[in-house]
Parts: sequence; C-alpha cells; structure tokens
Amino acid sequence: MEGTAMPKFTIKDLDLYYGDFKALNKINMEIPQKQIVAFIGPSGCGKSTFLKTLNRMNDLIEGVRIEGKVLLDNTDIYSDIDVIKLRQRVGMVFQQPNPFPMSIYDNVAYGPRIHGIKKKAQLDEIVERSLKQAAIWDEVKDRLKKNALGMSGGQQQRICIARALAVEPEVILMDEPTSALDPISTLKIEDLAVELKQKYTIVIVTHNMQQASRISDKTAFFLTGDVIEYGETSQIFNNPREKKTEEYITGRFG
Amino acid sequence: MSRKTKDRLTQAAVYGSAGLTVVILVLIIGFIVIRGLPGINLSFLTRSWEDETTYILLDTDLTEDAIQAGTIDELGVTLTEDETGLLVENLDSDSPLKSASNIQGDPFEVKTGDYITRATEEDNGQLRLRVERPGGGIVPMLVTTIYMILLSLLVAAPIGIFSAVYLIEYAKPGKIMTLIHFAIENLAGIPSIIYGLFGCLFFVRVCHFQYSLLAGALTLSIMLLPTIITTTEESLKAIPRTYRESSLGLGATKLQTVTKVVLPNALPGILVAVLLAMGRIVGESAALLLTAGTVASIPTALWGNAASGATLTIKMYTLMKEENDLTTACAIGIVLLVIVIVLNFASKMITKKLMSKKGE
Repeated sequence: MEGTAMPKFTIKDLDLYYGDFKALNKINMEIPQKQIVAFIGPSGCGKSTFLKTLNRMNDLIEGVRIEGKVLLDNTDIYSDIDVIKLRQRVGMVFQQPNPFPMSIYDNVAYGPRIHGIKKKAQLDEIVERSLKQAAIWDEVKDRLKKNALGMSGGQQQRICIARALAVEPEVILMDEPTSALDPISTLKIEDLAVELKQKYTIVIVTHNMQQASRISDKTAFFLTGDVIEYGETSQIFNNPREKKTEEYITGRFG
Repeated sequence: MSRKTKDRLTQAAVYGSAGLTVVILVLIIGFIVIRGLPGINLSFLTRSWEDETTYILLDTDLTEDAIQAGTIDELGVTLTEDETGLLVENLDSDSPLKSASNIQGDPFEVKTGDYITRATEEDNGQLRLRVERPGGGIVPMLVTTIYMILLSLLVAAPIGIFSAVYLIEYAKPGKIMTLIHFAIENLAGIPSIIYGLFGCLFFVRVCHFQYSLLAGALTLSIMLLPTIITTTEESLKAIPRTYRESSLGLGATKLQTVTKVVLPNALPGILVAVLLAMGRIVGESAALLLTAGTVASIPTALWGNAASGATLTIKMYTLMKEENDLTTACAIGIVLLVIVIVLNFASKMITKKLMSKKGE
C-alpha cells in the first residue's frame, strides 16, 4: 500500500469546542502516508488545536468537546483505539524543546521503558538507533549519561525527536518544532524531517512559510477554525485558488 | 520636613527594625546557651533521666567485706569511694560484672560510672550487690522525640503526599476541590492545643490508647497534614506542564507519568516538606502535653501504660513548671536548637545536591 491512495489519517466533519467557543469548524482532510504535511495560518487559527486532535492531546485540556471523526488507517481514534496505544503510534514533538531533566540515554529510553522493555542490550540498541535517526548520535555518543538539559536548544529538540522515534511511531506530529531555535538548528531539523519521511508520516505546524514551502509535500492553510485551502505545496504557494490564501502567503496579513 | 530628611528617617526605621530582629534573636539564643551550657556534659547526653537501682547476684568466693575501694582482681574492677558509695571506675573487658544477672535472672551489665552501694552474702554462697546507676541524662526524652518523629511521619507523610498528588494530578477543579483546599487552609490555622484537646478526647480516651506514643503521634500526624500537603503541592505545581505532556505524548499512562516524571522531580520539595514537618514535631509541646504524657522514660509500647513518654520540649516544660530547674531546661533548649539547626542544614544540603544533579 506504500505511497498509494490509502491515507494515513482521514478526518471527517471535525468540530472542536473549548466550552462554548468553536475552535475548529467542519474540518475534512486526508493526510497521505510518508509525506510531510504542513499546517500554516495566523496565530489562533486552530492549526495547533487540530494537530493535537490527531493524537488526542486535547483530552488533557478541560472543557474540550469534539464532534466528527478522525480515522487512523480507517480506525476511529476517538472510539476504537486505546489512547495509550494511539500515542505510541502517533508521536509528538513540541514547540519548546522539552527533554526530561535526566540523562540523554534515559530520555530516549523513557518511551521503550514505559512500554515494558527492560533488557539493557535492547534499550542500548534502541537508544543508538533513535539518536542516529535523529541525526544527533555523533554529537552525544560520548556523553549519553550527561543531563539532556545541558545541551543546546537545537540538540535538545533533536533529542526530543529521538525520544519520540524510540517508541517506533508511524506518525510524528511536530508543533512549531523550530520556533525556539536558531537558523542553523532550524535547518538541521528541516533536513531531518525530510530524511524521516522515508519511514514516517509527518505533520508539521509552522509559522514559517519558507519552512512549509521548503520541506512539505502538502500544505493546509487555516483561518479562524476553517481550512481555507489544502493542496500540493507547490500549488498553494505558486498558484493559490483562494484569495485569502494568496493574501496570507504574500504577507498581507497574519 | 524635607524629602531628604524623610528618606533618612524611613531608612533609619527600616535598618533599625532589621537590626532589632537580629539583636532579639541573638539575645534569646545567647540567654539559652549561657544558662544551659553548665548543664551540658557527657552524662547529660548519655544517661537516663531517673536513677536506677538494680540488685545483681554473683557466683564468687568473695565475702561482702572484700567489696571495698581499690582493685578487686577476681571481679576485674577498680572501685573508688565517695559520698554516694563505691564508684566503678574501671572494668576489665572480661569482668564477671559485665555479664551479671539481676535477681529476676535477666542479664544486667554493670558499666563504669555505676555505684555499688551495698554487698551482702546470700545463704547459697552467692554475693548480692546493689548497683545504682545515676540518672540526670536526657536519653529517654531524646529517644521519645525520635520515636515521635518516626511514627508521626510514617502516618502523615504518605497520606499527605498522596493527597497532594491527588489534588494536583487527578482532581478536577470544581466545588469539591475548593472545599478540600478550604479545609486544608483552615486545618493549618488551628492552634495546636486544639489538636491536643481532640487527641486527648479521641485517641487517649475513646480509643483507650491512654497517654501514649501512638496517641501523640496520631495527633501530630493530623496536625502535620496541612503543611505536608501544601508544601508538596507547591513542588508539584512547579513541575513544568511540558514534562507531563511529553510523557503522555509518548504513550505513558497517568500513573507512569506521575511515578516516573512528576514525583522524582518533585522530590526535593517533598523532602523539604518532610523536614519542615520534623522541625514542627521537635518543637511541638501543647498537643503532646495532652496526648503523650510527661513520663521521663523510654516508652516500651505503642499504647497503654508503658507507652507514655515526654519529648524534649515536654520535659523542658515540666522542668520549669514543676521543678523550677532553669539550667537543665536551658540545656535541653540547646539540644533542641542544635537539632533544629541540623534539620535546616540537612534540608538545604539535600535540596542543593538534588538540584545540582538535575542541572548537571
């Protein structure tokens, strides 16, 4: 099925409310396998909120109500999958690099450990493989026992990506992963994302339109809870169908 | 008045108040130390409070007249005479006095510093000695205080920590949570004598624990709960939300997140909560006066007659109130101050050490 029509995520008529406030309005979208999909839009447009519905991180917020369906490989993630299992399959990288205050090794081994892997040799192998996948192995291999908080912001973010990869997810959600990083670290993360899409489906929220155009295959433009336009990245940036999209990407608002 | 004068006056008032506080503190500590220091010596710190008299039986050919000042080779002992009796000055390591038994047949070890005040020959040829062990030390109160700390914390620490975890990690904000917080805040404000009164009525009388370690410790546990809960809550609140999010985002359960990420990081704060609680136990008197009793001996049971025991603070109170013995009271005061300083120092060290580990 690789690369064929079968989408990773299918979202049908999704509404999301914070109490009385409607934050997402009738979202319909298909997210293809092993591609990078970028969400762009001004602050407060609902793109991060939507990203979090994909691994149910919104469950943690008081007063959130969801209507409609989110299907992962045709299974409803709000009714037919255990949330623990879901988050194992759909990993997340946050805006601020947020490693745990423990060693680099323990950070990466955290996920496998909570899922029951105890053997040292197996953990060693997972940690090495994940750090290599996250393109940070060479920088940290001699100081795996050092506290992860002692690393630079860009290194911390790649450690967080390694931590997410260690539980062998199918999808990685990235919520503005480079907004707290310098340009060089940002480029490293972007290269990494492109590298990772060979094996993983990646959904990235970004404020940076150049970033979206550089790395993503498809782009969705959000505005006040609606998806205004969703299509191939080249089409969105070169030949937008909607006037609002054009206004946004040419910097007339946002 | 010019602005400059106003400024100077305000400055003087502020500096003066701060200085006065330091002066008062120095005066209090100085008073306690100067009045108490003459009372502090090795026997004060190592002896029991009450004098103890024990009769021991020895299998020996010695006659009662042989027990007198000087060295007695057969017993491996050197005695000197003073107004109390024969002081055991030196004991050989293989002295039969060290493995003697009392008239009930229980083993009893004579120690240097004991007095032999009478020797009589029994009909069966055994020699009976009256051994007096002088008291005047605070060991029973020290031991009672330590028992009290351990027992109270054993009850209060888990309940307090679990309550805080519930309130911060599990409880949903709402009326019930507001009510619980309201209750905790008010519990914290109740004078300790009220806790004592409740403990006296409930634990001592209704539960029939009598004046005992258990009644005292349970009363203190209730009293300590608000402190432990609020301090632990603060340290849980200080843990960034992102730690919880990333743990849950990796597919951890709530329990795994709490035990593997939240609690380990809150540990310094929880330890501080426990040390603060220890400080309060050491310093508490009113609640214990009504629940744990004033007997100056080491309790040998948790409840009942043998379980009554005075902590250091209670002993201070009875010394002043009933015996007017200022020197000894101040000497105990010094011991209390030292304990509290050590606790504070320990809490600082622990926090520092754990913090430095974190930020390595």
